[in-house]
Amino acid sequence: MSIMSYNGSAMLAMVGRDCVAIASDTQLSANGQMISTDFQRVHMVNNNVMIGMSGLATDVQTLWADFRARTKMYKLREERDISPRAFAHMVSSALYQRRFGPYFIEPVIAGIDPDTKKPYVCSTDIIGCIEKSPNFVVAGTCTENLYGMCETLFRPDMDADDLFETVAQALVNAFDRDAYSGQGAIVHILTPTELITRTIKTRTD
Amino acid sequence: METLISLTGKDYVLTASDMTAARSILVFKVNEDKTRDLSPHITMAFCGESGDTVQFAEFIQKNIRLYAIRNNFELSPKAAANYVRTQLAESLRSRSPYAVNVLIAGFDEHEGPELYWLDYLGTLCKIPFGAHGFASNFVLSTLDNAYLPDMDLEQGIALLKSAIKVVQQRMLISQPNFQIKLVNKDGVSVIDI
Amino acid sequence: MVEYALEAISHAGTSLGIVSKEGVVLAAERRVSSKLLETRDLEKTYVLDDHVAVCVAGIVSDANTLVHYARSVAQNFEATFSEPMPVEQLVTRVADLKQGYTQFGGLRPYGVSMLYAGWDRNNGYQLYVSDPAGNFGAWRATCVGANAQTAQSMLKTHLAGPSGGSGADGADGPGADTHTSATSQDDAIELTLEDAINLSVKILCKTIESSNVTSEKLEIAVLTLHPVSKKPVFRALTREELDILIARIMAAEAAEKAAAEAEKAQQAARAASEAAAAIRANASGSGN
Repeated sequence: MSIMSYNGSAMLAMVGRDCVAIASDTQLSANGQMISTDFQRVHMVNNNVMIGMSGLATDVQTLWADFRARTKMYKLREERDISPRAFAHMVSSALYQRRFGPYFIEPVIAGIDPDTKKPYVCSTDIIGCIEKSPNFVVAGTCTENLYGMCETLFRPDMDADDLFETVAQALVNAFDRDAYSGQGAIVHILTPTELITRTIKTRTD
Repeated sequence: METLISLTGKDYVLTASDMTAARSILVFKVNEDKTRDLSPHITMAFCGESGDTVQFAEFIQKNIRLYAIRNNFELSPKAAANYVRTQLAESLRSRSPYAVNVLIAGFDEHEGPELYWLDYLGTLCKIPFGAHGFASNFVLSTLDNAYLPDMDLEQGIALLKSAIKVVQQRMLISQPNFQIKLVNKDGVSVIDI
Repeated sequence: MVEYALEAISHAGTSLGIVSKEGVVLAAERRVSSKLLETRDLEKTYVLDDHVAVCVAGIVSDANTLVHYARSVAQNFEATFSEPMPVEQLVTRVADLKQGYTQFGGLRPYGVSMLYAGWDRNNGYQLYVSDPAGNFGAWRATCVGANAQTAQSMLKTHLAGPSGGSGADGADGPGADTHTSATSQDDAIELTLEDAINLSVKILCKTIESSNVTSEKLEIAVLTLHPVSKKPVFRALTREELDILIARIMAAEAAEKAAAEAEKAQQAARAASEAAAAIRANASGSGN
């Protein structure tokens, strides 16, 4: 089994009209054994940016501790919040610094640019190559399923409620056919004014 | 080859760690203590590569003690667990990583009883109950089946007993003795069950 | 070398801090050297983390280095323990760095005194002062910079409780390493946040060497707990708020002065009439 599927995960980020969403499963398993159904892979960087990290759980925690410290230093020195684009490049360079001994995570980043109010969504590979997307990005142990669901369900210019419905359906139906991920989901919708977080109960088998 | 089991109740955490020290086909002793107390209200049960285990546990124990002496107060269970996680995660990418899995049981005056699951990779997870080792495959099923949040001590001990019974009945490897530790508002204590 | 650094600080604008029941106040005199100088809202006050802020007195470039150091230390702690750094620990770390520069030849000490305002789970609201030598101590209320003596004695008269109030006792001196929690139980009077802000404005109005104090010459910030989330919040008072506070203090002072003068006049009149009566009594006495 690959180190990328040791802990199992499924997540996606999607763009709506003036809003973005990240959805992720909530389980932590180790080598196929369930450890917890309440594991946090998605973190709020500030009121404009969030990051979800799929892959090896220890690296998710190590990197989040690092990103939290770095973004706080950024905020204290610059006296403003980091933008999604700048944050994505920070993540990218942190990952590329370990080019020949990488952290085993694939992050998805979603946010709203504080100046232009435009949605921003991107993902990177494990060594930090940014892939910016105009509609959606996926990561985890069932990316094939996730791509299929997203290609089918995505429509441009969804409002926050439609976006929630779409990402929730895409994620849940993708990970229900994946042995490594699932056991509940969490969806974060970010608009220029608020963050809406909803947890979803799913099948637990 | 080793077994750690732990569960939280209404106002306590119970840990059970097997006491067998064995290697290859040989059992050396059956009264080995596989726990270290990190502070008056935190204990850590550990298993993994022999040699690494005690070395790592005592390194953590003494550093947390040093912190308490330096700063005149004890780390919270959450802070202690995160400190252990940081150490394991740093060790993972070093030349010779520690291969140690731990359960950290603690009682915090604000948060109540807490249990943290940590593997040798440095994956930290706060859980209501959990286990490490081969036996986790049986034990987790038993606990999943019968665990209730907010159990009183009697119920907790009964559940822990049944979990240990499953290990001793169904696992090929002999583990005759288990050490049980109770963590509550009065601190860490060893109990007989 | 440390003596020179201390000397430099005694010429810096006064900075003071007061711990109240509902928060910590940091207040400072800002010296605007030229009308052409660009100014910021907070010139001498820096946020170190969500729960600690610092007001500096002395060489600003040195302070910037120390502030950056303190911020990294606090973030490092949170990355390791997943909890905010206890305030006293952060103060100790910065003080240790300062101490290092007093021990060996060839290096100049940091010419900065710092007033730390903080809150943590263990010790609640706290106020610390550290000097260039690396000494530090916890205080209920204290100050650094020019006119520190005046400000300190004013704090003492306003805050000392029945037994003299250990927190604001000048005898400790800002170098005393007291190691006591700023919120520990003693007899000093516990102020409300509003009282603490008013007192800090009142003292700064006295210590600033200028006839008319304006909001441009002051900066005041408060560290409180958010009423709902119970998380620490740090906020600088706005120009407008400062203007209102200054006007109120000035008015109160003017009224006090007028009252004192009236009292004096009355006393004089009374004394005069008493004297007249005495003379009269004497005169009639001698007549007998």
